[in-house]
Amino acid sequence: MRNTKKVAKWEIKRNMKNKTYLIGLFLTPVLMVGFYALFSWIGGGDETETEQVDVFINDQLEIFPAIEETVEQSGFDWNLEETDLAEADMEGALEDNEDTAYLFIDERALEDGVVPVYTSEDIDQFFTNQVQLLETPIQTMQMAQLGLSEEELAFIFRGVSFEETSSAAIGGNGGDSGTAESGLFTGESAERAIPGIFAAFIYLSIVFTGMAIFQSASLEKKDKIAEIILSSVTPGELMQGKVIGYFVLGLIQTVISVAIILPILIWQVDFPFMDYALVPELALLLLISVLGYLLFAAVFVGVGATMTDVTTAGNFQGMVMMLPFLPFIFIGPVFSDPNGLMAQIGTYIPFTSPGVLIMRLSLLDEWPWVEIIIALAILIVSVWLFMKLAGKIFKVGILLYGKNATPGEIWKWIRA
Amino acid sequence: METMLSVENLGKSFKDKQVLSNISFDVRRGEIMAILGPNGAGKSTTIRNIMGIMYPDEGAIRFREMNGKEIPRHKIGYLPEERGLYKNVSVMDILLYLAELKDYPLDKAKQRALAYLKKFDLEGKDKVSMEELSKGMGQKVQFIASVIHEPELLILDEPFSGLDPVSQELFKEEIRQLAEDGTAILLSSHQMNLVEEMADRLFMIHQGQKVIYGTMDDVKTQYANFKCTIRGKNDLRVLEDIPQVERVEQNEEKFVLYLSKDVHPNEWLKVIPEQVNIQELTLDRITLHEIFIDIATNKNLLQKEGEVHA
Repeated sequence: MRNTKKVAKWEIKRNMKNKTYLIGLFLTPVLMVGFYALFSWIGGGDETETEQVDVFINDQLEIFPAIEETVEQSGFDWNLEETDLAEADMEGALEDNEDTAYLFIDERALEDGVVPVYTSEDIDQFFTNQVQLLETPIQTMQMAQLGLSEEELAFIFRGVSFEETSSAAIGGNGGDSGTAESGLFTGESAERAIPGIFAAFIYLSIVFTGMAIFQSASLEKKDKIAEIILSSVTPGELMQGKVIGYFVLGLIQTVISVAIILPILIWQVDFPFMDYALVPELALLLLISVLGYLLFAAVFVGVGATMTDVTTAGNFQGMVMMLPFLPFIFIGPVFSDPNGLMAQIGTYIPFTSPGVLIMRLSLLDEWPWVEIIIALAILIVSVWLFMKLAGKIFKVGILLYGKNATPGEIWKWIRA
Repeated sequence: METMLSVENLGKSFKDKQVLSNISFDVRRGEIMAILGPNGAGKSTTIRNIMGIMYPDEGAIRFREMNGKEIPRHKIGYLPEERGLYKNVSVMDILLYLAELKDYPLDKAKQRALAYLKKFDLEGKDKVSMEELSKGMGQKVQFIASVIHEPELLILDEPFSGLDPVSQELFKEEIRQLAEDGTAILLSSHQMNLVEEMADRLFMIHQGQKVIYGTMDDVKTQYANFKCTIRGKNDLRVLEDIPQVERVEQNEEKFVLYLSKDVHPNEWLKVIPEQVNIQELTLDRITLHEIFIDIATNKNLLQKEGEVHA
């Protein structure tokens, strides 16, 4: 164990002194922030941002206070004002204005149900929809004209609502899929989603940093130092040292990313991330992340030792490198139905399990504990098994100079 | 002299091929013990078995300080045949890391590293990255790495390969000095002249088997018989009929007569027949180099002797 620690320390030190690594360390979060800025800049116009609209109302029915109240309740960004301009003056009034609308509420509204609206050429795209809301106060006035009582009015405006109950809800399964999806950042679901996103971030950080193990595993071979190192430590210690070293490097990457990204996020998005992120659920999510890392690390260190150099990686080695990306194919199915068949399959495959579990647990209000425990058991067994296999491959592979091992040879080493 | 390492009846096979069989020798404190043999004879395999990088199928390897089954890694310095050092790190970093792996105190390691760098003409290179060093400089650093922790047993696999004559002298001097200071040294090589100068004892191996084992002086008197080289137009049969000639090798007009062990040179010269045409004649002993080449090319020069002493 002491040797393992020494090797881990060395791997960390070696990387921290490496310019390429240091640049990557800071560039990754900076790029993330850059992409965020780029997207919010490109997507700025058609997202939730609305522009203030000056709405002038030529009120002949003395309905203005009711409209004012309706608008206030809706929270539209309207600047309401009364006006006595006539319809004939519209052309001149709108010519040089942006985001301006004139409404003429007069007898026509009561008799024909028509309200002429004149807008400037440039107007917020949501205005047409928003203006429909004024239907209610005008209709109220129409009804009042017809002589209906307050109770009758209230009854009419209660309308008809359709109460939806899904079959899952009848079965008592919670049926949370709808609510979860609709409100990632609202109320309770945020409590699930934030730790999940946080865990996913940490998971991806350490796994992607861990991909460097691939290169590191063949480094001793490439630099022909394997025998010198092995005259001091056992192959097992060397392998464990690398796995632990790159885990710490992944954590360093995470910490630096969070330190750069979080302040910007808090400044940009007004949301108490930390209050939601630091909850007990995070512990389980992090455990899943660590297990996921160990699994991939085992595979990388084992397969990495079978090649002379990353640049000479064959198809087999290249495919192994793609393994961490496997959970991405489950994103679609899991988000559309976090309890669906695909989601469950993904939960039980060791290589996709960490990713899929983190996604599901972020979406679900009630956690499927049985599935979680089975998945954890599968993961732990897989980690143990792959570590053992990697150890066997590593032991032989690290001394195999000058050629890449074929899958057949690797199989032989495993059986040896 | 205290035995630091003893190898007993070592045997190893790869698949069905026996690469080592019945290898036994020991290495003592303060001596230089050489393992000699052509490429592929099994030198490196023997050393890797000693270092625990491979595991022998048969036999035992014992270290003086061995408690239980553990190899006393911290007391051993090892310079493998296939060697290099991490490329993108500084000389001092790698030396200190290797010392740390041997549990050697770091402040002492740093002092020793600086002293050795100075000795090997690399003063001021301690902060230079390994990839900026020339091959020769790199080899010097590798050598320092193998001795930085003051090993009691130093195993050097082909330490001179790829070195220029100046560096060779430097290494030779240092290895001798280490032996004088009490380090047990096991060194493998195929450069016979160097071994002849340095080694106290030698173990010659061919095709995984022992050929010669003994002190340098014994080996020389036992195996290094006289040979007579004659240039001139001659009949092979006439030369073969000269007494005490065991074997004759002909290369156009050059004949090499291998003489038997108990030959007296002065007397033997007198029995050379009149009709032998001599343009040139030299009489000298067979060198280790020739023994080595004979073994490597399977000429059986030593077979007779080998069998007798086996």
